[in-house]
Amino acid sequence: MLKYIVKKLFIMVITLWIIITLTFVLMVSVPGSPFNSETNSNEIVQENLEKHYNLDKPYHIQYLLYLKSIITLDFGPSIKQPNQTVNDLLGRGFPISFELGIVTIIVAVISGIILGILAALRHNGIIDYLAMGIAVLGISIPNFILATLLIQKLAVDWEIFPVATWSSPLHMVLPVLALATGPMAIIARLTRSTMLEVLTQDYIKMARAKGLTPWKIIVKHALRNALMPVITIMGTLLAGILTGSFVIEQIFAIPGMGKYFVESINHRDYPVIMGTTVFYSAFLIIMLFLVDIAYGLLDPRMKVNKKEGE
Amino acid sequence: MKRLLFFMAAVLSIFVLVACTANEDAGKDPDEKDKVEEPAGDDGESTDEGTSGEKVLKLNNATEPTSLDPSIGFDAVSWDPLNNLMEGLTRLDENHQAGPGVAEDWDISEDGKTYTFHLRENAKWSNGDPVVAEDFEFAWKYMLNPETASAAAFLGYFIEGAEAYNSGEGSADDVKVTAVDEKTLEVVLAQPTGFFLDVLTNPAFFPIHHKIAEENPNWHAEAETFVGNGPFKLESWEHNVEMVFSKNEHYWDAGVVKLDKVHFAMVNDTNTQYQMFESGDLDTASIPPELSDELIEDDNVFIGPYGGLEFYRFNTTIEPFQNKKIRQAFAYAVNREDIATYVVKNGVEPAYGFINPGYTSPTGSDFRDANGDLVTFDPEKAKQLLEEGMAEEGYDELPPITLTYNTSDTNKAVAEALQSMYQENLGIEVKLENQEWNVFSDAQKALELQFSRSSFINDYNDPVNFLESFITDSYMNRTGFSNPEYDELITKGKTETDEEKRWEYLYEAEKLLAEEMVAMPIRYYNTVVLEAEGVEGILRHPVGYFDLKFADKK
Repeated sequence: MLKYIVKKLFIMVITLWIIITLTFVLMVSVPGSPFNSETNSNEIVQENLEKHYNLDKPYHIQYLLYLKSIITLDFGPSIKQPNQTVNDLLGRGFPISFELGIVTIIVAVISGIILGILAALRHNGIIDYLAMGIAVLGISIPNFILATLLIQKLAVDWEIFPVATWSSPLHMVLPVLALATGPMAIIARLTRSTMLEVLTQDYIKMARAKGLTPWKIIVKHALRNALMPVITIMGTLLAGILTGSFVIEQIFAIPGMGKYFVESINHRDYPVIMGTTVFYSAFLIIMLFLVDIAYGLLDPRMKVNKKEGE
Repeated sequence: MKRLLFFMAAVLSIFVLVACTANEDAGKDPDEKDKVEEPAGDDGESTDEGTSGEKVLKLNNATEPTSLDPSIGFDAVSWDPLNNLMEGLTRLDENHQAGPGVAEDWDISEDGKTYTFHLRENAKWSNGDPVVAEDFEFAWKYMLNPETASAAAFLGYFIEGAEAYNSGEGSADDVKVTAVDEKTLEVVLAQPTGFFLDVLTNPAFFPIHHKIAEENPNWHAEAETFVGNGPFKLESWEHNVEMVFSKNEHYWDAGVVKLDKVHFAMVNDTNTQYQMFESGDLDTASIPPELSDELIEDDNVFIGPYGGLEFYRFNTTIEPFQNKKIRQAFAYAVNREDIATYVVKNGVEPAYGFINPGYTSPTGSDFRDANGDLVTFDPEKAKQLLEEGMAEEGYDELPPITLTYNTSDTNKAVAEALQSMYQENLGIEVKLENQEWNVFSDAQKALELQFSRSSFINDYNDPVNFLESFITDSYMNRTGFSNPEYDELITKGKTETDEEKRWEYLYEAEKLLAEEMVAMPIRYYNTVVLEAEGVEGILRHPVGYFDLKFADKK
């Protein structure tokens, strides 16, 4: 197991390096500069700005400077917000995106699983159609439409929740709803299909024959196996949701880090592009790694196979 | 079935508990704690508002200011807060003219090159220290220091020695800004500049408390260390979330300031900020484009001019736009009235000249009225000009035309309107192309675009600001246009000491630019703001930024 982890870690570092290098190459090959604002300017001012941010240096020097900044974990100041370092921006934004993400994931997983189970148990019944109807809507309605709709109805018309900003648990409700619906729908459909499959298995019949109560059968025997595919998609889902959603954060004026992914590229804010890319890729790689490990721990078949393999 | 229901209920309640504890856990985190507590404090305040009668104005700054360092924050999101936290030697008054600010009065030498400013005795920083002439000298030299890399530095080139210093050739000592004594500042200009007092209202020329800045170069990054000298002081600043200003009792004119507090939210979504306005979370808002038709006529809408122009650049280095008549033909074939009314909407005015209304000449008339309409909608004339131009160049068929714009919904709509007008009025098939802003901007500067969308936002309150763009080899030219006569007119329009004569040169320059038609005006910008009931006195200057000094909320 230890050997496996060390090998994995090595591959993770190499992957990260490849991502960094590719990002750098893409970044410098895209035309534009961080100083193309709509305000007036002249050549001297532009030169001073480029010098200030080391953009006048040859590309290989810039590349080495970036590598250095990544190794020392100090990305320097943002070009768009020169008084803030990239570390400041991510350090402030990430906890907020993370908070929103965790709540969203919890809501999505629990409600998705419940919907999925209900649908599977009442297969082809009204509840099934209802649950799957909700799931199809959840997948097909983009979250920004849902967000706008929620704000208009629940905040402006009925005044139950605040419109936007991020200052109290009450402010969380609408963005969480908007963000959780999509993943919830995906999880519900996955759970339903695997549940249906599992419920026809012999060991379920066996459990039923033994006279176990229905909910014991579902929770202890069926659900545990039905959840495997859900865990598989959790890695990508977690990394995506926990690092913030640009659209939802923009609509609800949530000061998370989602916006930096998009805005840094629009502004050609090179240090922020590098910072967010490294952060996101590292996060995603670690999440996938954790899912790998969780898989081994949860699925007895995998464990057996591994032992045999070793 | 009952058990199943019970199970569901149990799961649901567990989930609710988990969700709540997730919040509380987050609240225990030391960083998060402030975040949760502060807005709670705000709620407390807003309930106090009713009882204590505190006047709190809730505005939206859209995003975090680029910087509150006056030399670095060179854009609207920095200017609006800065203009209310600080004050330069001059400040725009109710008529949008440069009036006394920190400087009580000033003397201008005979040759128009030496300005001596007398600072107010009672001009103070928000920490109580007096504002001294050295604060200005320090701030301006800091702005011009090439290592500061200020985007605004070029505005300082009116001062003798400034350009040399900023380009790395001269030294700070040669910049002719001198603190003669505590309250006297002497500035020597490179050329006489009739609008220098207007230039000084730009935040780039605001003073910096030099003792504090020398000690802590990052003084402007946080509310705790920020020192201003304007009508308001920075009480708190939660980055990317909110700034709170409160009345600065050390301000020399604090008596006229009516508001106790101003909240600047940072909501960057037009629909959301409108919905927040609707629900009372904001006192002012912009109108989302989809609702423009519905809301623009309402009583609570402020519509005012904004110093800027949307126009299209012809590239004189790419065929067929080397030909003046063909350029003119393209300009006369455009129905600007229709574009303003049906395409851009939001109460904007069509542009029949380059300089937007709102610049008062020395004789008291408006620049735009005095110089009249320079380009109109005249399809017949356009057709004739096109024929003449094609004959001059010997074209049987016009070379293909590509119109390029930077990607945005409005730009697209305008481009499509132009396309159909050229089809209808000139019988020309124009190809449309859109590019992302940065790609577009680079291509335009490199003269790679044939016919491209442009915009201009004024930095200071004088027509020369725009007209200067088109002198030979100017960074803002981007058309390949070069005309010695035009260059000459602009030089005179900048340096002539007789203001009436100076304006004559500017009138001529604008006419020449319209005759050459290297740029085709489309429409002027404007400011459209929804204001909640009881909000009054917000001074919205056509050039630059708003002023809350006289604002009130009833």
